[in-house]
Amino acid sequence: MTKKILLSFPQKAAGQPMAMELIKTYHLDFSILKAFIDDNIKGTLLLEIKGSEADIEAGIVYLREHQIGVRDIESVVEVDQAKCVSCGACTAVCAVDALEMTADWSLVHHDDKCLECMLCVKACPMRAIHAII
Amino acid sequence: MAKSYQEINEKIARGEAVVVTAEEVIAIVKERGLKEAAQYVDVVTTATFGPMCSSGAFLNFGHADPPIRMGQITINGVEAYGGLAAVDTYLGATQPSQDKGIEYGGAHVISDLIAGKAVHLLAKSQGTDCYPRKEIDTWVKLEDLNEAYLFNPRNVYQNYNAAINGSSERLYTYMGILQPNMGNITYSTAGELSPLLNDPLLKTIGMGTRIFFGGAQGHVSWMGTQFNSACPRDEKGYPQTPGATLALIGNMKEMNPKYIRGAVYEGYGTSMFVGVGIPIPILNEEMMAFVAVENKDLYTNVIDYSVPKKAKPSLKKVSYAELRSGAVDINGKIIKTSPLSSLKMAREIADELGNWIKKGQFFLQEPIQSFPQGNAIKGLEIKEGESR
Ligand code: SF4
Ligand code: SF4
Repeated sequence: MTKKILLSFPQKAAGQPMAMELIKTYHLDFSILKAFIDDNIKGTLLLEIKGSEADIEAGIVYLREHQIGVRDIESVVEVDQAKCVSCGACTAVCAVDALEMTADWSLVHHDDKCLECMLCVKACPMRAIHAII
Repeated sequence: MAKSYQEINEKIARGEAVVVTAEEVIAIVKERGLKEAAQYVDVVTTATFGPMCSSGAFLNFGHADPPIRMGQITINGVEAYGGLAAVDTYLGATQPSQDKGIEYGGAHVISDLIAGKAVHLLAKSQGTDCYPRKEIDTWVKLEDLNEAYLFNPRNVYQNYNAAINGSSERLYTYMGILQPNMGNITYSTAGELSPLLNDPLLKTIGMGTRIFFGGAQGHVSWMGTQFNSACPRDEKGYPQTPGATLALIGNMKEMNPKYIRGAVYEGYGTSMFVGVGIPIPILNEEMMAFVAVENKDLYTNVIDYSVPKKAKPSLKKVSYAELRSGAVDINGKIIKTSPLSSLKMAREIADELGNWIKKGQFFLQEPIQSFPQGNAIKGLEIKEGESR
Protein backbone atom coordinates (compact mmCIF):
# COMPACT_ATOMS: atom_id res chain seq x y z
CA MET A 1 0.00 0.00 0.00
CA THR A 2 0.96 3.67 -0.40
CA LYS A 3 0.51 6.23 2.28
CA LYS A 4 1.29 9.90 2.68
CA ILE A 5 2.63 10.85 6.09
CA LEU A 6 3.87 14.03 7.64
CA LEU A 7 6.76 13.79 10.07
CA SER A 8 7.59 16.55 12.47
CA PHE A 9 10.85 16.87 14.37
CA PRO A 10 11.17 18.76 17.61
CA GLN A 11 14.37 20.50 16.49
CA LYS A 12 15.27 21.52 13.01
CA ALA A 13 16.64 18.79 10.79
CA ALA A 14 17.84 16.68 13.75
CA GLY A 15 15.43 13.81 13.19
CA GLN A 16 15.64 13.65 9.44
CA PRO A 17 18.50 11.11 8.91
CA MET A 18 17.12 8.95 11.69
CA ALA A 19 13.70 8.85 10.03
CA MET A 20 15.27 7.66 6.78
CA GLU A 21 17.20 4.93 8.57
CA LEU A 22 14.18 3.64 10.41
CA ILE A 23 12.10 3.53 7.31
CA LYS A 24 14.84 1.55 5.55
CA THR A 25 14.95 -1.08 8.31
CA TYR A 26 11.26 -1.65 7.75
CA HIS A 27 11.78 -2.18 4.00
CA LEU A 28 9.66 0.83 3.12
CA ASP A 29 10.05 2.60 -0.19
CA PHE A 30 9.70 6.29 0.24
CA SER A 31 9.95 9.54 -1.62
CA ILE A 32 10.29 12.93 -0.01
CA LEU A 33 7.46 15.08 -1.28
CA LYS A 34 8.47 18.17 0.66
CA ALA A 35 10.93 19.11 3.33
CA PHE A 36 10.27 22.30 5.17
CA ILE A 37 12.63 23.67 7.76
CA ASP A 38 12.06 27.10 9.10
CA ASP A 39 13.89 28.90 11.90
CA ASN A 40 10.59 29.72 13.50
CA ILE A 41 8.92 26.36 13.09
CA LYS A 42 9.93 22.81 13.79
CA GLY A 43 11.23 20.74 10.89
CA THR A 44 8.63 18.93 8.85
CA LEU A 45 8.92 16.28 6.17
CA LEU A 46 6.14 15.05 3.95
CA LEU A 47 6.78 11.50 2.73
CA GLU A 48 5.02 9.06 0.50
CA ILE A 49 5.77 5.57 1.75
CA LYS A 50 5.19 2.23 0.07
CA GLY A 51 5.27 -1.20 1.72
CA SER A 52 3.14 -3.86 3.36
CA GLU A 53 0.56 -2.64 5.81
CA ALA A 54 2.32 -4.39 8.71
CA ASP A 55 5.69 -2.87 7.85
CA ILE A 56 4.20 0.62 7.54
CA GLU A 57 2.50 0.28 10.89
CA ALA A 58 5.62 -1.02 12.61
CA GLY A 59 7.72 1.75 11.04
CA ILE A 60 5.33 4.41 12.28
CA VAL A 61 5.38 2.97 15.80
CA TYR A 62 9.16 3.08 15.71
CA LEU A 63 9.22 6.71 14.55
CA ARG A 64 6.83 7.74 17.28
CA GLU A 65 8.96 5.99 19.90
CA HIS A 66 11.78 8.26 18.77
CA GLN A 67 9.82 11.45 19.39
CA ILE A 68 9.03 12.03 15.74
CA GLY A 69 5.47 13.16 15.14
CA VAL A 70 3.65 11.17 12.45
CA ARG A 71 0.40 12.10 10.77
CA ASP A 72 -1.60 10.69 7.88
CA ILE A 73 -2.28 13.36 5.32
CA GLU A 74 -4.93 13.82 2.68
CA SER A 75 -5.78 17.48 2.47
CA VAL A 76 -5.08 19.46 5.57
CA VAL A 77 -6.68 22.75 4.78
CA GLU A 78 -9.93 23.53 3.05
CA VAL A 79 -10.84 26.78 1.30
CA ASP A 80 -14.48 27.82 1.64
CA GLN A 81 -15.25 29.09 -1.86
CA ALA A 82 -18.30 31.05 -0.67
CA LYS A 83 -16.08 33.15 1.58
CA CYS A 84 -12.95 33.38 -0.57
CA VAL A 85 -12.62 36.60 -2.57
CA SER A 86 -9.37 35.60 -4.30
CA CYS A 87 -7.45 38.43 -2.68
CA GLY A 88 -4.24 36.42 -2.54
CA ALA A 89 -3.19 37.27 1.04
CA CYS A 90 -2.84 33.58 1.90
CA THR A 91 -0.36 32.95 -0.91
CA ALA A 92 2.06 35.29 0.85
CA VAL A 93 2.71 32.80 3.64
CA CYS A 94 2.58 29.52 1.71
CA ALA A 95 6.21 28.49 1.32
CA VAL A 96 5.50 25.64 -1.10
CA ASP A 97 2.98 27.31 -3.45
CA ALA A 98 0.17 25.00 -2.36
CA LEU A 99 -1.91 28.17 -2.53
CA GLU A 100 -1.51 29.94 -5.84
CA MET A 101 -3.21 32.47 -8.04
CA THR A 102 -4.32 31.06 -11.41
CA ALA A 103 -3.90 32.92 -14.69
CA ASP A 104 -7.32 34.58 -14.20
CA TRP A 105 -6.41 35.57 -10.61
CA SER A 106 -8.59 33.02 -8.80
CA LEU A 107 -7.16 31.23 -5.80
CA VAL A 108 -6.36 27.54 -6.18
CA HIS A 109 -5.29 25.11 -3.44
CA HIS A 110 -3.13 22.12 -4.42
CA ASP A 111 -3.81 19.42 -1.80
CA ASP A 112 -0.80 17.38 -2.79
CA LYS A 113 1.70 20.16 -2.12
CA CYS A 114 0.35 21.22 1.26
CA LEU A 115 2.61 20.89 4.31
CA GLU A 116 0.06 21.60 7.05
CA CYS A 117 2.05 24.52 8.39
CA MET A 118 -1.34 26.23 9.00
CA LEU A 119 0.05 29.69 8.41
CA CYS A 120 -2.56 30.41 5.76
CA VAL A 121 -5.42 29.89 8.22
CA LYS A 122 -4.48 33.06 10.08
CA ALA A 123 -3.35 34.91 6.97
CA CYS A 124 -6.82 34.84 5.37
CA PRO A 125 -8.70 38.09 6.09
CA MET A 126 -12.00 36.44 5.14
CA ARG A 127 -11.38 33.51 7.48
CA ALA A 128 -12.16 31.29 4.50
CA ILE A 129 -9.45 28.70 5.23
CA HIS A 130 -10.17 25.97 7.75
CA ALA A 131 -7.78 23.41 9.14
CA ILE A 132 -9.36 19.99 8.92
CA ILE A 133 -7.09 18.32 11.45
CA MET B 1 -13.18 65.96 -31.47
CA ALA B 2 -14.09 66.47 -27.83
CA LYS B 3 -17.24 65.01 -26.25
CA SER B 4 -19.25 66.48 -23.41
CA TYR B 5 -20.74 64.69 -20.41
CA GLN B 6 -24.15 65.48 -21.83
CA GLU B 7 -23.36 63.95 -25.21
CA ILE B 8 -22.12 60.77 -23.55
CA ASN B 9 -25.19 60.60 -21.31
CA GLU B 10 -27.45 61.00 -24.35
CA LYS B 11 -25.67 58.04 -25.96
CA ILE B 12 -26.16 56.04 -22.75
CA ALA B 13 -29.88 56.90 -22.80
CA ARG B 14 -30.13 55.70 -26.41
CA GLY B 15 -28.26 52.51 -25.51
CA GLU B 16 -25.47 53.44 -27.93
CA ALA B 17 -22.60 54.21 -25.58
CA VAL B 18 -19.41 52.23 -26.14
CA VAL B 19 -18.22 51.08 -22.72
CA VAL B 20 -15.10 49.01 -22.05
CA THR B 21 -12.96 48.29 -19.00
CA ALA B 22 -9.59 49.92 -18.32
CA GLU B 23 -7.95 46.58 -19.17
CA GLU B 24 -9.83 46.08 -22.44
CA VAL B 25 -9.15 49.62 -23.60
CA ILE B 26 -5.40 49.03 -23.83
CA ALA B 27 -5.73 46.74 -26.87
CA ILE B 28 -8.27 49.10 -28.48
CA VAL B 29 -5.85 52.03 -28.29
CA LYS B 30 -3.01 49.88 -29.68
CA GLU B 31 -5.17 48.74 -32.56
CA ARG B 32 -6.89 51.98 -33.54
CA GLY B 33 -4.55 54.65 -32.27
CA LEU B 34 -5.37 57.34 -29.70
CA LYS B 35 -7.40 59.60 -31.93
CA GLU B 36 -9.76 57.02 -33.37
CA ALA B 37 -10.05 55.16 -30.04
CA ALA B 38 -11.03 58.42 -28.30
CA GLN B 39 -13.85 58.88 -30.78
CA TYR B 40 -14.98 55.27 -30.59
CA VAL B 41 -14.98 54.69 -26.81
CA ASP B 42 -17.30 56.74 -24.60
CA VAL B 43 -16.71 55.38 -21.12
CA VAL B 44 -13.95 53.32 -19.54
CA THR B 45 -14.80 51.49 -16.33
CA THR B 46 -12.25 51.10 -13.52
CA ALA B 47 -12.61 49.20 -10.28
CA THR B 48 -10.97 47.93 -7.13
CA PHE B 49 -11.89 45.49 -4.37
CA GLY B 50 -9.60 45.58 -1.39
CA PRO B 51 -9.23 46.38 2.30
CA MET B 52 -10.12 50.00 3.14
CA CYS B 53 -9.85 50.65 6.87
CA SER B 54 -11.11 54.21 6.82
CA SER B 55 -14.74 53.24 6.33
CA GLY B 56 -17.94 53.26 8.35
CA ALA B 57 -21.67 53.79 8.45
CA PHE B 58 -24.06 56.47 9.66
CA LEU B 59 -27.20 54.87 11.08
CA ASN B 60 -30.47 56.29 12.41
CA PHE B 61 -32.52 53.87 14.50
CA GLY B 62 -35.75 55.84 14.91
CA HIS B 63 -37.31 56.61 18.28
CA ALA B 64 -38.64 54.08 20.80
CA ASP B 65 -41.54 54.89 23.12
CA PRO B 66 -40.63 56.37 25.57
CA PRO B 67 -37.61 57.71 23.67
CA ILE B 68 -33.92 57.45 24.61
CA ARG B 69 -30.95 59.71 23.92
CA MET B 70 -28.45 56.94 23.16
CA GLY B 71 -25.12 57.45 24.93
CA GLN B 72 -23.18 54.19 25.11
CA ILE B 73 -24.14 52.12 22.08
CA THR B 74 -23.13 48.62 20.97
CA ILE B 75 -24.31 46.69 17.91
CA ASN B 76 -23.61 42.95 18.08
CA GLY B 77 -21.15 43.85 20.82
CA VAL B 78 -19.29 46.43 18.71
CA GLU B 79 -19.19 49.95 20.11
CA ALA B 80 -20.67 52.71 17.95
CA TYR B 81 -20.26 56.45 18.50
CA GLY B 82 -22.68 57.99 21.01
CA GLY B 83 -21.80 61.62 20.51
CA LEU B 84 -24.37 62.52 17.87
CA ALA B 85 -28.08 63.31 18.25
CA ALA B 86 -30.38 60.94 20.15
CA VAL B 87 -30.69 58.02 17.75
CA ASP B 88 -27.91 58.75 15.23
CA THR B 89 -24.63 56.91 15.35
CA TYR B 90 -21.46 56.27 13.36
CA LEU B 91 -20.15 52.73 13.31
CA GLY B 92 -16.48 52.51 12.34
CA ALA B 93 -15.29 49.54 10.27
CA THR B 94 -12.19 48.84 12.38
CA GLN B 95 -13.88 48.92 15.81
CA PRO B 96 -13.30 45.50 17.43
CA SER B 97 -16.14 43.77 19.30
CA GLN B 98 -16.09 43.69 23.07
CA ASP B 99 -16.25 39.89 23.26
CA LYS B 100 -14.76 38.59 20.00
CA GLY B 101 -12.08 41.24 19.48
CA ILE B 102 -10.85 41.79 15.92
CA GLU B 103 -12.44 38.57 14.66
CA TYR B 104 -15.77 40.42 14.53
CA GLY B 105 -15.64 44.18 14.16
CA GLY B 106 -17.61 47.11 12.81
CA ALA B 107 -17.04 45.97 9.23
CA HIS B 108 -18.65 42.61 10.02
CA VAL B 109 -21.68 44.34 11.55
CA ILE B 110 -21.99 46.48 8.42
CA SER B 111 -21.84 43.49 6.08
CA ASP B 112 -24.31 41.56 8.28
CA LEU B 113 -26.71 44.51 8.09
CA ILE B 114 -26.36 44.69 4.30
CA ALA B 115 -26.99 40.93 4.16
CA GLY B 116 -30.34 41.59 5.88
CA LYS B 117 -29.44 39.96 9.20
CA ALA B 118 -30.91 41.15 12.50
CA VAL B 119 -28.32 42.76 14.78
CA HIS B 120 -28.42 43.23 18.54
CA LEU B 121 -28.69 46.87 19.59
CA LEU B 122 -27.90 47.85 23.17
CA ALA B 123 -27.83 51.47 24.32
CA LYS B 124 -27.66 53.33 27.60
CA SER B 125 -28.36 56.87 28.63
CA GLN B 126 -28.47 59.11 31.70
CA GLY B 127 -32.12 59.88 30.96
CA THR B 128 -33.27 63.47 30.38
CA ASP B 129 -36.59 65.26 30.71
CA CYS B 130 -37.19 64.98 27.00
CA TYR B 131 -35.63 61.49 26.60
CA PRO B 132 -36.61 59.63 29.78
CA ARG B 133 -35.59 56.08 28.75
CA LYS B 134 -32.29 54.89 30.24
CA GLU B 135 -31.76 51.61 28.47
CA ILE B 136 -32.73 49.87 25.30
CA ASP B 137 -32.16 46.24 24.29
CA THR B 138 -33.56 45.22 20.92
CA TRP B 139 -32.87 43.65 17.53
CA VAL B 140 -32.91 45.62 14.29
CA LYS B 141 -32.54 44.93 10.58
CA LEU B 142 -31.36 47.29 7.88
CA GLU B 143 -34.93 47.68 6.60
CA ASP B 144 -36.04 48.88 10.08
CA LEU B 145 -33.62 51.81 10.10
CA ASN B 146 -34.58 55.26 8.84
CA GLU B 147 -31.28 55.97 7.14
CA ALA B 148 -28.19 53.83 6.76
CA TYR B 149 -25.37 55.03 4.54
CA LEU B 150 -21.72 54.27 4.27
CA PHE B 151 -19.55 57.34 4.58
CA ASN B 152 -15.97 56.27 4.07
CA PRO B 153 -13.50 59.09 4.76
CA ARG B 154 -10.58 57.53 2.85
CA ASN B 155 -10.99 54.95 0.10
CA VAL B 156 -9.51 53.98 -3.29
CA TYR B 157 -5.94 55.06 -2.70
CA GLN B 158 -4.22 56.26 -5.85
CA ASN B 159 -1.26 53.89 -5.79
CA TYR B 160 0.10 52.31 -2.61
CA ASN B 161 3.38 50.92 -1.32
CA ALA B 162 4.43 47.32 -1.73
CA ALA B 163 5.61 45.82 1.58
CA ILE B 164 8.65 43.76 2.57
CA ASN B 165 10.19 42.76 5.91
CA GLY B 166 13.93 43.25 6.36
CA SER B 167 13.97 42.02 9.97
CA SER B 168 14.49 38.50 11.29
CA GLU B 169 11.01 38.29 12.86
CA ARG B 170 7.72 37.60 11.12
CA LEU B 171 5.56 40.78 10.96
CA TYR B 172 1.77 40.98 11.19
CA THR B 173 0.63 44.13 9.37
CA TYR B 174 -2.22 45.70 7.45
CA MET B 175 -0.18 44.62 4.43
CA GLY B 176 -0.68 41.01 5.50
CA ILE B 177 1.86 38.64 7.03
CA LEU B 178 5.41 39.52 6.05
CA GLN B 179 7.95 36.71 6.31
CA PRO B 180 11.35 37.45 7.91
CA ASN B 181 14.56 38.14 5.99
CA MET B 182 12.80 39.64 2.98
CA GLY B 183 10.84 36.40 2.54
CA ASN B 184 7.99 37.92 0.53
CA ILE B 185 6.46 41.09 -0.88
CA THR B 186 2.79 42.07 -0.72
CA TYR B 187 1.02 44.77 -2.73
CA SER B 188 -2.51 46.08 -2.87
CA THR B 189 -3.90 47.61 -6.01
CA ALA B 190 -5.74 46.80 -9.18
CA GLY B 191 -2.90 48.47 -11.18
CA GLU B 192 -4.04 49.37 -14.69
CA LEU B 193 -7.68 48.74 -13.63
CA SER B 194 -7.38 50.91 -10.51
CA PRO B 195 -9.74 53.94 -10.53
CA LEU B 196 -7.44 56.82 -9.62
CA LEU B 197 -4.48 55.52 -11.64
CA ASN B 198 -6.63 55.89 -14.75
CA ASP B 199 -7.30 59.56 -14.10
CA PRO B 200 -4.04 60.53 -12.41
CA LEU B 201 -4.75 64.28 -12.30
CA LEU B 202 -8.41 63.79 -11.31
CA LYS B 203 -9.69 65.64 -14.37
CA THR B 204 -13.02 63.78 -14.37
CA ILE B 205 -13.28 62.62 -10.75
CA GLY B 206 -14.37 65.16 -8.16
CA MET B 207 -17.13 66.04 -5.76
CA GLY B 208 -20.38 64.51 -6.97
CA THR B 209 -18.95 61.93 -9.37
CA ARG B 210 -21.38 59.00 -9.54
CA ILE B 211 -19.76 55.65 -8.82
CA PHE B 212 -20.37 51.95 -8.19
CA PHE B 213 -20.14 51.67 -4.43
CA GLY B 214 -20.65 48.30 -2.74
CA GLY B 215 -23.16 47.31 -5.39
CA ALA B 216 -25.16 50.56 -5.17
CA GLN B 217 -24.88 53.81 -7.07
CA GLY B 218 -22.98 56.11 -4.74
CA HIS B 219 -21.05 59.33 -5.01
CA VAL B 220 -17.69 60.88 -4.36
CA SER B 221 -18.51 63.27 -1.53
CA TRP B 222 -15.20 64.98 -0.83
CA MET B 223 -11.46 64.56 -1.18
CA GLY B 224 -10.35 61.65 0.99
CA THR B 225 -8.29 62.19 4.12
CA GLN B 226 -4.50 62.32 3.64
CA PHE B 227 -5.19 63.52 0.10
CA ASN B 228 -1.71 63.81 -1.36
CA SER B 229 -1.97 65.31 -4.83
CA ALA B 230 1.51 66.81 -4.27
CA CYS B 231 3.04 63.31 -4.44
CA PRO B 232 5.97 62.64 -6.78
CA ARG B 233 4.82 61.85 -10.33
CA ASP B 234 6.33 60.62 -13.57
CA GLU B 235 6.46 62.90 -16.62
CA LYS B 236 2.91 61.89 -17.64
CA GLY B 237 1.47 62.65 -14.22
CA TYR B 238 1.11 59.15 -12.73
CA PRO B 239 1.84 59.08 -8.97
CA GLN B 240 4.92 57.14 -7.86
CA THR B 241 3.81 56.91 -4.22
CA PRO B 242 0.43 56.97 -2.41
CA GLY B 243 -1.40 59.96 -3.92
CA ALA B 244 -5.02 61.08 -3.98
CA THR B 245 -7.80 59.44 -1.96
CA LEU B 246 -11.60 59.83 -2.01
CA ALA B 247 -14.35 60.13 0.57
CA LEU B 248 -17.32 58.08 -0.63
CA ILE B 249 -20.98 58.01 0.25
CA GLY B 250 -23.71 55.52 -0.63
CA ASN B 251 -26.98 54.01 0.54
CA MET B 252 -26.44 50.73 2.43
CA LYS B 253 -30.00 49.67 1.66
CA GLU B 254 -29.06 49.37 -2.02
CA MET B 255 -25.77 47.58 -1.44
CA ASN B 256 -24.84 43.93 -1.97
CA PRO B 257 -23.02 42.00 0.80
CA LYS B 258 -20.83 40.47 -1.88
CA TYR B 259 -19.06 43.79 -2.34
CA ILE B 260 -18.79 44.90 1.31
CA ARG B 261 -17.08 42.34 3.51
CA GLY B 262 -15.58 42.30 6.97
CA ALA B 263 -11.92 41.31 7.04
CA VAL B 264 -9.40 40.38 9.74
CA TYR B 265 -5.68 41.07 9.56
CA GLU B 266 -3.98 38.81 12.06
CA GLY B 267 -2.21 40.74 14.79
CA TYR B 268 -3.42 44.03 13.32
CA GLY B 269 -7.18 44.42 13.36
CA THR B 270 -10.48 44.46 11.54
CA SER B 271 -10.83 46.07 8.13
CA MET B 272 -13.43 46.18 5.39
CA PHE B 273 -13.18 45.02 1.79
CA VAL B 274 -14.97 47.65 -0.27
CA GLY B 275 -15.92 47.26 -3.91
CA VAL B 276 -15.69 50.50 -5.87
CA GLY B 277 -16.05 51.15 -9.59
CA ILE B 278 -15.54 54.54 -11.22
CA PRO B 279 -16.48 55.38 -14.81
CA ILE B 280 -14.04 57.59 -16.72
CA PRO B 281 -15.67 59.57 -19.53
CA ILE B 282 -13.50 59.71 -22.65
CA LEU B 283 -14.02 63.42 -23.23
CA ASN B 284 -10.94 63.81 -25.42
CA GLU B 285 -7.65 62.25 -26.51
CA GLU B 286 -5.97 63.33 -23.29
CA MET B 287 -8.34 61.18 -21.20
CA MET B 288 -7.92 58.31 -23.64
CA ALA B 289 -4.14 58.52 -23.21
CA PHE B 290 -4.52 58.42 -19.42
CA VAL B 291 -6.74 55.32 -19.33
CA ALA B 292 -4.52 53.46 -21.80
CA VAL B 293 -1.84 53.14 -19.11
CA GLU B 294 -0.41 49.65 -18.56
CA ASN B 295 0.96 47.85 -15.52
CA LYS B 296 4.46 48.06 -16.94
CA ASP B 297 4.30 51.87 -16.79
CA LEU B 298 2.87 52.17 -13.27
CA TYR B 299 5.42 52.17 -10.45
CA THR B 300 5.49 51.90 -6.70
CA ASN B 301 8.13 51.42 -4.00
CA VAL B 302 8.94 48.28 -2.04
CA ILE B 303 8.96 49.58 1.52
CA ASP B 304 10.59 47.88 4.50
CA TYR B 305 7.80 47.61 7.09
CA SER B 306 10.20 46.40 9.79
CA VAL B 307 11.50 49.96 10.27
CA PRO B 308 9.38 51.34 13.15
CA LYS B 309 9.40 54.91 11.81
CA LYS B 310 6.98 56.96 9.78
CA ALA B 311 9.53 57.36 6.99
CA LYS B 312 10.34 53.79 6.03
CA PRO B 313 13.08 53.13 3.48
CA SER B 314 12.32 52.03 -0.07
CA LEU B 315 14.35 49.05 -1.25
CA LYS B 316 13.38 49.29 -4.88
CA LYS B 317 11.07 51.01 -7.33
CA VAL B 318 9.06 48.34 -9.17
CA SER B 319 6.37 48.32 -11.83
CA TYR B 320 3.01 46.63 -11.32
CA ALA B 321 3.89 44.31 -14.21
CA GLU B 322 6.84 43.08 -12.13
CA LEU B 323 4.69 42.70 -9.02
CA ARG B 324 2.01 40.84 -10.99
CA SER B 325 4.61 38.47 -12.47
CA GLY B 326 4.83 36.71 -9.09
CA ALA B 327 8.44 37.52 -8.24
CA VAL B 328 10.71 40.54 -8.00
CA ASP B 329 14.50 40.63 -7.98
CA ILE B 330 15.89 42.67 -5.09
CA ASN B 331 19.68 42.87 -4.97
CA GLY B 332 19.98 39.53 -6.73
CA LYS B 333 17.46 37.75 -4.53
CA ILE B 334 14.25 36.56 -6.23
CA ILE B 335 11.37 37.38 -3.89
CA LYS B 336 7.83 36.08 -4.22
CA THR B 337 5.05 38.69 -4.54
CA SER B 338 1.43 38.33 -3.41
CA PRO B 339 -1.58 40.58 -3.98
CA LEU B 340 -3.85 41.68 -1.11
CA SER B 341 -6.70 43.16 -3.12
CA SER B 342 -8.77 40.98 -5.43
CA LEU B 343 -8.22 41.59 -9.13
CA LYS B 344 -10.82 38.93 -9.90
CA MET B 345 -13.53 40.83 -7.98
CA ALA B 346 -12.32 44.18 -9.35
CA ARG B 347 -12.83 42.83 -12.88
CA GLU B 348 -16.31 41.66 -11.94
CA ILE B 349 -17.14 45.15 -10.64
CA ALA B 350 -15.76 46.88 -13.75
CA ASP B 351 -17.93 44.57 -15.88
CA GLU B 352 -21.00 45.09 -13.71
CA LEU B 353 -20.65 48.88 -13.86
CA GLY B 354 -20.17 48.59 -17.63
CA ASN B 355 -23.40 46.60 -17.89
CA TRP B 356 -25.32 49.22 -15.90
CA ILE B 357 -24.11 51.92 -18.28
CA LYS B 358 -24.82 49.87 -21.42
CA LYS B 359 -28.35 49.15 -20.19
CA GLY B 360 -28.99 52.84 -19.51
CA GLN B 361 -29.27 52.35 -15.75
CA PHE B 362 -26.28 54.46 -14.80
CA PHE B 363 -25.46 57.96 -16.02
CA LEU B 364 -22.30 60.02 -15.65
CA GLN B 365 -22.30 62.91 -13.19
CA GLU B 366 -19.91 65.73 -13.96
CA PRO B 367 -18.06 66.81 -10.78
CA ILE B 368 -19.56 69.90 -9.20
CA GLN B 369 -16.13 70.78 -7.81
CA SER B 370 -12.62 69.57 -8.58
CA PHE B 371 -10.10 68.61 -5.93
CA PRO B 372 -6.95 70.69 -5.34
CA GLN B 373 -3.69 69.96 -7.08
CA GLY B 374 -0.46 70.26 -5.09
CA ASN B 375 -2.14 69.36 -1.80
CA ALA B 376 0.52 67.89 0.54
CA ILE B 377 -0.10 65.91 3.72
CA LYS B 378 1.11 67.00 7.12
CA GLY B 379 2.50 64.89 9.93
CA LEU B 380 1.68 65.24 13.61
CA GLU B 381 4.25 67.07 15.68
CA ILE B 382 4.61 66.11 19.32
CA LYS B 383 4.70 69.30 21.41
CA GLU B 384 5.80 69.23 25.03
CA GLY B 385 4.14 71.02 27.93
CA GLU B 386 0.98 73.12 28.02
CA SER B 387 -0.98 74.24 25.01
CA ARG B 388 0.86 76.62 22.73
S1 SF4 C 1 -6.62 34.94 1.79
FE1 SF4 C 1 -8.63 33.94 2.02
S2 SF4 C 1 -9.99 35.19 0.75
FE2 SF4 C 1 -7.92 35.71 0.14
S3 SF4 C 1 -7.46 34.33 -1.57
FE3 SF4 C 1 -6.73 33.29 0.28
S4 SF4 C 1 -8.46 32.02 0.94
FE4 SF4 C 1 -9.28 33.48 -0.53
S1 SF4 D 1 -1.13 24.88 5.42
FE1 SF4 D 1 -1.54 26.58 4.04
S2 SF4 D 1 0.34 27.81 4.01
FE2 SF4 D 1 0.85 25.80 4.88
S3 SF4 D 1 1.54 24.60 3.14
FE3 SF4 D 1 -0.65 24.17 3.34
S4 SF4 D 1 -1.64 25.65 2.00
FE4 SF4 D 1 0.48 26.36 2.29
